[in-house]
Amino acid sequence: MALAVDLSDVEKTYGGRVRALRGVSVQVNEGEVFGFLGPNGAGKSTLVKIMMTVARATKLSGTILGAPVGHKPTLARVGYLPEHHRFPKYLTGRQVVEFFGALAGMERAARKRRASHLLDMVRMEDWADRKVGTYSKGMQQRVGLAASLVNDPRLIVLDEPTDGVDPVGRREIRDMLIQMRNEGRTVFLNSHLLSEVEQVCNRVAILVQGRVVAQGTIDELTAASRRFEIAIEGEPPAWWEPLGRVTRERAPGQGLDAAPSASRLVLLRTEANGGQASIDRLRAEGRTILFAATVRESLEDLFIRAVADPTTGVVSAPGATIGGVS
Amino acid sequence: MIQTMALFVAAYRELNARKLFWLSLGLSVVVVGIFGMFGIDQTGISVWPFGWSFDSPFFNSNVISPESFYKLMFMNLGVKAWLGLFATALALISTAGIIPDLVSAGSIDMMLAKPLSRARLFLTKYLTGLLFTALQVTVFALASFLVIGLRGRVWEPSLFLAVPYVVVIYSYLYCVCALVGLLTRSTIAALIVTAIFWLLLLGVHSGESLINYGTIASSLEVSAIEAELAKAQADADEDPETVAELTEELASQRSSDATWHSVHWWVFAAKTVLPKAIESLNMLERQLVVDARLRGGLGADAEARDETGGEIFGHGRVERAKFIEALRADENSRGVWWVLVTSLVFEGVVLSIATVLFCRRDF
Repeated sequence: MALAVDLSDVEKTYGGRVRALRGVSVQVNEGEVFGFLGPNGAGKSTLVKIMMTVARATKLSGTILGAPVGHKPTLARVGYLPEHHRFPKYLTGRQVVEFFGALAGMERAARKRRASHLLDMVRMEDWADRKVGTYSKGMQQRVGLAASLVNDPRLIVLDEPTDGVDPVGRREIRDMLIQMRNEGRTVFLNSHLLSEVEQVCNRVAILVQGRVVAQGTIDELTAASRRFEIAIEGEPPAWWEPLGRVTRERAPGQGLDAAPSASRLVLLRTEANGGQASIDRLRAEGRTILFAATVRESLEDLFIRAVADPTTGVVSAPGATIGGVS
Repeated sequence: MIQTMALFVAAYRELNARKLFWLSLGLSVVVVGIFGMFGIDQTGISVWPFGWSFDSPFFNSNVISPESFYKLMFMNLGVKAWLGLFATALALISTAGIIPDLVSAGSIDMMLAKPLSRARLFLTKYLTGLLFTALQVTVFALASFLVIGLRGRVWEPSLFLAVPYVVVIYSYLYCVCALVGLLTRSTIAALIVTAIFWLLLLGVHSGESLINYGTIASSLEVSAIEAELAKAQADADEDPETVAELTEELASQRSSDATWHSVHWWVFAAKTVLPKAIESLNMLERQLVVDARLRGGLGADAEARDETGGEIFGHGRVERAKFIEALRADENSRGVWWVLVTSLVFEGVVLSIATVLFCRRDF
C-alpha cells in the first residue's frame, strides 16, 4: 500500500537545548485514519508543524503524498486544521472558508460552491454569513474544519479537531472522519481523546518525549494484552494455579463492605477457544460461572502503559527533553 | 494571482473593519473641503460660503494664478501637512498591527500550510499595509482634483502624482514597522520604534540642512574674501595692512570652511543611507509646482525678494540672493537617484532582512 506520510528520523531542537523530536519515524498508509497520540509536550504538534512547513526540522527525511516534505505545490492537496487556530474576526465563516480556498489556488466559482457545501456539512449554514468574532469556540472549530477541507484534500491533518466542541459536535466530527476514510482520504489525527481515536483510527502511534514508543494497529499493539477471563462464585479451584492468574472480587450486587465472594480466573494470551476446556472442568465441578469473555487492553490502558516507565511504572513528566540525550 | 488577490481582498476587509480607516478617509475629505472653501481673486483671498474676503498685496490673482494658488495649498497644506504628517501617523496606527497579527500564534499556521511561498506571503502582506495609504491618498487626490477643477477652473491630473510619491514615502517608515512587528510580534513595539525612526529621519534631515546652510554660507564667504583680497591686491593705493588682514581672514575662513565641509560630509553620508522622506516630498513639489518662485511654501516669494538683511551664519559678506541661489542649486543637484533610489535601497535592505527572517522562522 502506498504511503501518504513517510517520515524517517525527524529531529527538532529548539534553541540548541530543547529536544522536541528525537528521531521520529512515522508511516501512514493512504486511505487510513491515523491517530497520533502522546502526552502534553511530547512533540505531536511540532511534528505536525514540520509536516505542514510551519516549522523547520533540524533533521528530516521523508515524503508527504510522495513529494519531499516542504514541497509547496503538494500542499494544494493537503488540508490542515491547527490547534488553537484563530481566524480574523472581521471575516464571516463563509469568507474564511473561501479565503483558504483561494490560498490553495482554487478558482472563485469552485471555492464558492465548495464553501457552501462544507458549511452545510459542518452545520454552519445558518451562521455562515456572520462574523467569526460572534462564534463560540465550537463554531469556530466547525468552520476551521470546513476551511481545512475546502481544497478537497487527499491528506487531512487535524490537530485536536474536537477541542472545545460539545458531545454532539464531537460525534458529528467523528462521523465526518469516518466519511473521509470511506471517501479514500487519509486523515492524520492528533488528539488527546483516546476513545474517539479508538473508534475511528486504523492505526496509531504514541509519542513520548519526542520518540515514537509504539506504532501499529490497535489490535497489534494490544495483542500482548489479550486474555480470556472467567468469573466464578466462591473460591478459585486449586488446579487453576499453574494455568493462570486469579483475583478475588465481590460478586455483582455485593456492597463495598462485603467480603469478596467471587473469583476472576485469567488465562493470558488466550482466545475464547483456549478457555473452553477450563469452562467444561468448572461446570463439571458444579461451579457457577458469572461471566466469561475475551478481553484486551483499551487504548487508554495502552497509552498509560506506553507513557509509563516499564520498570518503575511512573508516568513520564510532560514536556520535551531539555539538555542532553536521555 | 488568485492567492495574491485573496490576500488583498482580505486586507481590504480588514481595513474596512477598522474605524480609524474610515475616520482617516473622512478627515481627508474634510481637509480638501476646507481648502476648497478658499478662493483667490484680483483683490485677495475669499472664503466660501461665508462671503468673507481679505485684501492682500501678495495673495491675489495678479500675483498668483488660481491654479498655482490651489496647487500650493494642495502641496503645502494637503500633502505636506495632512498626508505627510497627520494621515501618515493615522496610517501607521492603523497598519502597524498587520505583520504582528500575521505572525501571531494560531493565525499564521493555516496560511503557511498553503501552496504559497513564505516570501510571497510576507511581501504581499507588506503591500497590503501600503494599500491603506494608497487608498487614502487616492481619495485625497481625487477630491483635490475635483475642488481645484471646480474652484480654480483648472483640471490638473498631475495631482495624482501624489499617490505614488506619498505611498513610497510611507513605505520608508512602514518597512521598519514591518521588521520590528515581525521581530517582536508586538504592535505597540512596532509603532514606538517606527515613531522613533521617523523622528530620527526628521532630526537627520534638519541637522543636515542646517549644516548644509552653514557650509554653503562658509564657501560663499571664502569666495567673497578671495574677491575682496584680489581687488585689494590689484589696487596699488590699498593699505598693505588691509591686505595682510584679508589674507589672514581668508586663511582662517578656509580653515573654518574645511571644518564645515568635513562635518557636512559625515552627516550627508549618514543621510544618504537613510530614507529621505522630506526630500521625496520636495521632489513631488518640484513636479507639481513648476514655478520655482512659488516653491518652498507661501512665504518663498517674500524670502526670495529679500536681498538685504543681516549676517548669514555669521558671514557678513554673503549676499542673501546668492545664498538662496546656491541653496536652490544644491537642492536641484540632489536628483532622483540620490533622493529616491538611495531611499528605496534602504527599504529594500530592511525588507530583505525581514523577508529572510520570516522565511526562516518557526511558528
